[in-house]
Amino acid sequence: MTTSSPPASAAVAVAHPSHIAVPASGAEAIVQVLADEGVEVIFGYSGGAILPVYDAVFRHNALHPREDGGESMPLVVPANEQGAGFMAAGYARASGKVGVAIVTSGPGATNMVTPVRDSMADSIPLVVICGQVGTASIGSDAFQEAPVSNIMGACAKHVFLVTDAAQLEATVRTAFTLARSGRPGPVVVDVPKDVQNAAIDWHGSGELLLGGYRSRLRTVEQASLSDTDCAAFFAALAQARRPLIYAGGGVIAAEASTALRDFVDAFGLPVTTTLMGLGAFDTADPRALHMLGMHGTAYANYAVEDCDFVLALGARFDDRVAGVPDRFAPGAKFIAQIDIDPAEIGKVKRVDWHHVGPLTRALERLTAYGRAHAIAPQLSAWHAHVAGLKRTHAMDYDRASALIQPYAVIEALNRHTQGRAIISTGVGQHQMWAAQYFDFRAPRHWLTSGSMGTMGFGLPAAIGAQFAHPGKLVIDIDGDASIRMNIGELETVTTYGLPLKVVVLNNSGDGMVRQWQRLYFKGRFAGSDKSLHKKDFVLAAQADGFAWARRLDQPAALEATVADFLAFAGPAFLEVVIDPDAGVYPMVGPGASYAQMITGDFIASRKAAAVDEGATSHMF
Amino acid sequence: MNHTLSILLQNEAGALVRVAGLFAARGYNIDTLTVGPTHDPSVSRLVLTVQCDEAGLGRIMQQTRKLVDVLQVAHPAAALAA
Ligand SMILES: Cc1ncc(C[n+]2csc(CCOP(=O)(O)OP(=O)(O)O)c2C)c(N)n1
Ligand SMILES: [Mg+2]
Repeated sequence: MTTSSPPASAAVAVAHPSHIAVPASGAEAIVQVLADEGVEVIFGYSGGAILPVYDAVFRHNALHPREDGGESMPLVVPANEQGAGFMAAGYARASGKVGVAIVTSGPGATNMVTPVRDSMADSIPLVVICGQVGTASIGSDAFQEAPVSNIMGACAKHVFLVTDAAQLEATVRTAFTLARSGRPGPVVVDVPKDVQNAAIDWHGSGELLLGGYRSRLRTVEQASLSDTDCAAFFAALAQARRPLIYAGGGVIAAEASTALRDFVDAFGLPVTTTLMGLGAFDTADPRALHMLGMHGTAYANYAVEDCDFVLALGARFDDRVAGVPDRFAPGAKFIAQIDIDPAEIGKVKRVDWHHVGPLTRALERLTAYGRAHAIAPQLSAWHAHVAGLKRTHAMDYDRASALIQPYAVIEALNRHTQGRAIISTGVGQHQMWAAQYFDFRAPRHWLTSGSMGTMGFGLPAAIGAQFAHPGKLVIDIDGDASIRMNIGELETVTTYGLPLKVVVLNNSGDGMVRQWQRLYFKGRFAGSDKSLHKKDFVLAAQADGFAWARRLDQPAALEATVADFLAFAGPAFLEVVIDPDAGVYPMVGPGASYAQMITGDFIASRKAAAVDEGATSHMF
Repeated sequence: MNHTLSILLQNEAGALVRVAGLFAARGYNIDTLTVGPTHDPSVSRLVLTVQCDEAGLGRIMQQTRKLVDVLQVAHPAAALAA
């Protein structure tokens, strides 16, 4: 990764690295804790109230060069602090490590609110350091003052306002523990400028007590399944003929995919995942049903209708999955739930069996217990049914259209990437098409704003992911409206020489909004049509330094253009002019049950397909 | 139904705001609220009353337990009845 080369004065320090520099100020303590925590990149934007920390980062990098001469903690500067927040989030999502962002007070901090809330809603570990006005000025309506602890307190996992410099070192260290432990989330540390400048005694270890949090965490982390718990689980499973796993983002956060695969290998339950869970289980596996929910595959949703047992893993029955909780999985006689967060158990849907604890250990324990007791559910009829659903209700679209179909674009990309590229998205139809038509063969390859659904997420998240994995193919699948939200970050891509690939599926506006307006507002496209907008995306990308920037509008050129685009070594930008009327199907409308799912003109719905399914559905 | 909750809280700046904010953000109306010291100066006791059904009470108690500054959440009436 290229960053600005160190200035001449730093070169002297490089030649004589000092390993004994002990942090002496609050700012130096912050930076040393980051280094101790293994932080390898910082995303952020400078400003008056954070200058001491920025200076300490500069000095740290001069003093501690990497072996290859690069900076050990490069600062990546976005166009807007929101970009820095989503870069940190993209880095965290792609790597599993804590993402770090540092911003100034007032507007710097308030620009960070959206990524902090987004990360809270999707359980992504971040540490965000905000400068604050001096302690003596807090509450005086000082220049660039904002009530960060109030604002962030309402949307982060936790926020610290550090008014005592002696507490700063332990507080920053504790922020990392909080961000990554239990159900992960963003932690904000608000640091007044005088605290950054204050002289401190460095301790090198130690955290805040946080007795309540730590004792609750210990209870959860030490929880294990007793023989009785396991016996009850398997007794219920033995009664089931059509058991299904419903896996969410918690499987990815818990690094539990291997444990999940072993469990499935042992007992044969098919798996459907949420939007956040894509990649938790290889979507190319015959037992995988891809995504369920509002825009899930028809076959996954029908399998949910048909199942008689649900095992929910790190999933929370949210309204995009269980829009009508009472009618979700109506045939399920038994619902089991495992989660790290006690507040999620039974929050939406009553469950018959639950466990609060680390997912990997729980799955390993169940697998070991089941194997030891020679439990081998006979699911061949159910497997045949699931295979039938996948065949009969496969994803499909208008393959004869004269206009480029967005689904075909994703399929073309997927033929090259084979489920191994890191994909980020904006929010809207393109996000759902990407979720539906890409394969996801491993966790942490799918970066999307699931719970908040924040337009503008895709480009900065891809940048962060590329910093986490410099050698990997990272593709941002964006919408023409979503990318506008953080389009300033196109320049960040070229500034840092990132080889990432940006695809804009241009349907002249807010396609997802139009889809709802078509369905529920008689096609009145209030505020969602951008067909008269003037932006030339290719020129915009070129202006920001993209050497490869093209517009594709001929279906016949799709394959060759995609191949050329992905083969380009550096940053590349591809705008695809797609059918503006293409819809996202299937769709379970708000307030509808899965049985009422609309499948569109090209995916067989259950009624139409009733005859085909006869062969295997007699068992219901 | 009217429920009284007793919450032990680390005496940190902003801790009270976070409890009150959580109740407001999740649609619970706090009817009465008192905050006082405990024998430990680093810990405050917050007693509040709130109108909600049993299921809602369980949910808000669980959510309150997720606040980092919260040491303990108790529902004394339930404890007495048990
Ligand atoms: C920040 C933000 N503002 C508004 C919305 C509401 N919204 C959801 S999808 C959408 C349209 C997105 O358009 P585009 O990015 O072009 O994607 P498309 O649906 O056309 O593929 C809007 C406005 C949102 N999700 N996020
Ligand atoms: Mg669009």
